[in-house]
Amino acid sequence: MDIRLDAINHFYGKTEILKDITIDIPSGKIVCLVGPSGCGKSTLLRFAGGLEKPTSGRVLQLGEPPEGCLNTLTYVFQDFALLPWRSVRGNISLVLEDHGIRGTKADAIITDVLARTRLTDFDKALPKQLSGGMKQRVAIARALAVNPAVLLMDEPLSALDSQTRELLMDDLVTLWTRTPFTALYVTHNLAEAVRLGHRVVVLSRRPGRIREIVEIDKPLAERGYADADLEIIQKHLWDLMRDEARAAEEELIDV
Amino acid sequence: MVLFNRRQTLGLMGAAAASLATPAIAQNKKIVVGALNLASHSGSFIALERGYFADAGLDVELKFFQAAQPMAVAIASGDVDFGVTAITGGLISLADKGAVKVFGGALTEEPGIEGQKILASNAAFDAGVKTPKDMDGKRFGVTTAGSSFHYMGSKVAEKEGVKLEFVPLQKVGAVIGALKSGQIDAWSIVPNIAGGLTGADAAHEIGIIADYLPNYQVTTLFTSAKNASDRREETKAFLTGYNRGAADYNAAMVDKTADDADALVEIIHKYVYSDQPIETASASIKAGSMRLSKNAALNLASVRDQLSWFQSEDLVDKSISIETLVDTSYVDIIEN
Amino acid sequence: MSDTAFANTPLAEETRQSEVRFRGGGFAPRNRRWVGFVVFAVLIGLAEIGTRTGFISNLTLPRPSDVLETIVQLYQSGLLFKHLVPSLTRLVVGAALGASIGISVGVMVGLFSYVRAGLVPLLAALFPIPKIALLPLFVIWFGIDEGSKYALIAFGTFTPTAVATYSAVDNVDRSLIRMGQSFGLSWFSIVRKIVLPGAMPGILSGLRISLAIAIILLVAAEMLGAQYGIGAYILEAGSLYDLERLFAGVVILSLLGVLVSTVIGIIERRLLGWRT
Repeated sequence: MDIRLDAINHFYGKTEILKDITIDIPSGKIVCLVGPSGCGKSTLLRFAGGLEKPTSGRVLQLGEPPEGCLNTLTYVFQDFALLPWRSVRGNISLVLEDHGIRGTKADAIITDVLARTRLTDFDKALPKQLSGGMKQRVAIARALAVNPAVLLMDEPLSALDSQTRELLMDDLVTLWTRTPFTALYVTHNLAEAVRLGHRVVVLSRRPGRIREIVEIDKPLAERGYADADLEIIQKHLWDLMRDEARAAEEELIDV
Repeated sequence: MVLFNRRQTLGLMGAAAASLATPAIAQNKKIVVGALNLASHSGSFIALERGYFADAGLDVELKFFQAAQPMAVAIASGDVDFGVTAITGGLISLADKGAVKVFGGALTEEPGIEGQKILASNAAFDAGVKTPKDMDGKRFGVTTAGSSFHYMGSKVAEKEGVKLEFVPLQKVGAVIGALKSGQIDAWSIVPNIAGGLTGADAAHEIGIIADYLPNYQVTTLFTSAKNASDRREETKAFLTGYNRGAADYNAAMVDKTADDADALVEIIHKYVYSDQPIETASASIKAGSMRLSKNAALNLASVRDQLSWFQSEDLVDKSISIETLVDTSYVDIIEN
Repeated sequence: MSDTAFANTPLAEETRQSEVRFRGGGFAPRNRRWVGFVVFAVLIGLAEIGTRTGFISNLTLPRPSDVLETIVQLYQSGLLFKHLVPSLTRLVVGAALGASIGISVGVMVGLFSYVRAGLVPLLAALFPIPKIALLPLFVIWFGIDEGSKYALIAFGTFTPTAVATYSAVDNVDRSLIRMGQSFGLSWFSIVRKIVLPGAMPGILSGLRISLAIAIILLVAAEMLGAQYGIGAYILEAGSLYDLERLFAGVVILSLLGVLVSTVIGIIERRLLGWRT
């Protein structure tokens, strides 16, 4: 199933936040959304998942969601959003319970996603016992448990230290290589964008407009840490963004 | 200790008054007198307003309390020098701890003079409580365990051979409310309050306390043990002033031998029912007139009976003697 | 000095040497439970010595050993339970009523804007009312027997519980609720599985305060028309100026408070083990 953001415009009161945004997220690909802070990329992600409504424009699902999909558009949050009073298993079972999936059927799904995120041994642990990277892996496992058509990832690695971030990027690549998933991935970190994105959409500062869409053809599995090809693309992206980022940085906050 | 019976007391009254009227040595000594906003405290009010305390060399400040108990505590703590109130378990306990002494009598039940009434709530009256005999198993309102209400109720029950359930309600106002709403069945109270309730058809009178406790020493004069033993001159001066006030009150309001009742009502009204217009208050104040002991004579027999009742109810220590409670050296003692 | 010269930079060793003064530490409470007992023991010991030597008059403080003796007598005569049973019943019934209504109302206020708009001013108006002042009214409404006592304690626990609950609901991490919505959880599931557990720490700490208030109100509730009960016992001792009984009653109430606090502590440890 593909997803299309179609001619999206958005205002907060009189302030124009987003202007004429059209993005296609094709099935089985990861589309990264980068831009200076305050450009509206997280807002765009909330539109994509139906948590907020744009002033004008539409979000379209093209085609049917895959078989056994419980939650078509599923978020992975920056702050993990794990229920601290539930164990790893409980947190995953939370999103299955409402779909009437319990008992052995739920166990099978949970065991599968825990295995895919290498968390099998930690299923009884409480979030407070886990490191940041493990917490985010739990959140990813939870997202995978509902077999989503599209993953909406809101700066999922921003709260982690840089080493953990590298490790988790490897994990995401492995996950995607094994079973390709569709994702809209918002980040301000260009290294993440060039490492994980099949396509990188660069937004300008407010009002957010599409500056450029960069396609990266190199297969995910072949990209690595300090990859020379990626460095070139990353530098290109940074050149696009530097001035805007500086201007955005110096803007007074009045939202 | 000299014992007098009532007749002797009356005969010796003049002599006693003369001996007590000796001028106080202290001049303009500042003392604090505890009082309740009740007509039974008129002795203090009149003595203050008519300058009898000043004549006795005392500069008196009245301090008002909501109940007898806190006043006793204030005397023990030294915040108040002299007080007038009923004998309560608390007072006896404080006397036992060497803090206070009873040294004179005030309000007294006297046959022939309208005294405290026994009231039944309307509901209880309608259900057949027409006399104190009918109170068996009924709820009798008291302020606290060990209060004078508890004593009266208990004594009435004993004489009638009935059993009462005593309901503690802390304050006179709460007892009135509970009686009006039928939460309790019966109560005993001074005539002016009783008159107000029966007059408003809020309760029925079913008996009088004087039938059960004919010479009941309702309230007494008391002070700290220290004052009683070490500051005799001031204590005597207080008595001198107080007795003149009480004598005026008895003459005008109880014996009706003096014709300045209205002037006294005006004085009393400053402290009692002051929230009502004097026309309304006047009737209540007059209706509530009860004898204040002449020259603060103390009915020791009644006090002794009260003490032994408190002891029998296990409200105060059984070892307390009457001497611990009473200093008999100041006033005439009545022993019947 | 160039960057590369770093290795050759000499330390000023030969000039003057002094150790850096330690200035950290403190401000970190550690578990020193025994100190509490020592403070108690010293105070009680001082009172005992003071009253025995006569330095403290028997009007000021009762002798601690006499208070203990009074409690023992109270226990031996069976009166202790005659007083304790009605008090505990009043406490349990009243507090259970007040707390459960308080939690329900608090959750409603936390969840529904209209309920909030309607009830928050009402709660603000009810909170500062000294509930004791309403006792005579409760006697008329609910009767002088147990009804008015339950009502007073229930009312006293209701307002703090309701206020604590709705602020606890307000403080539930919105991102968790957003997460629940993004996974398509039903409204009821979100309330039951996210809002209520998330509000539990606030509700329990509110309950700690409410139950202490319930114990305070127990004495007030037993002012009117109670012949038995710890509160009635204390009031009677007070009006008789019987300090031994007064303190015996107070000690029992304190123990009751410690007990309630311990029970809530246990519940907190069991229910809130997930907190960091």
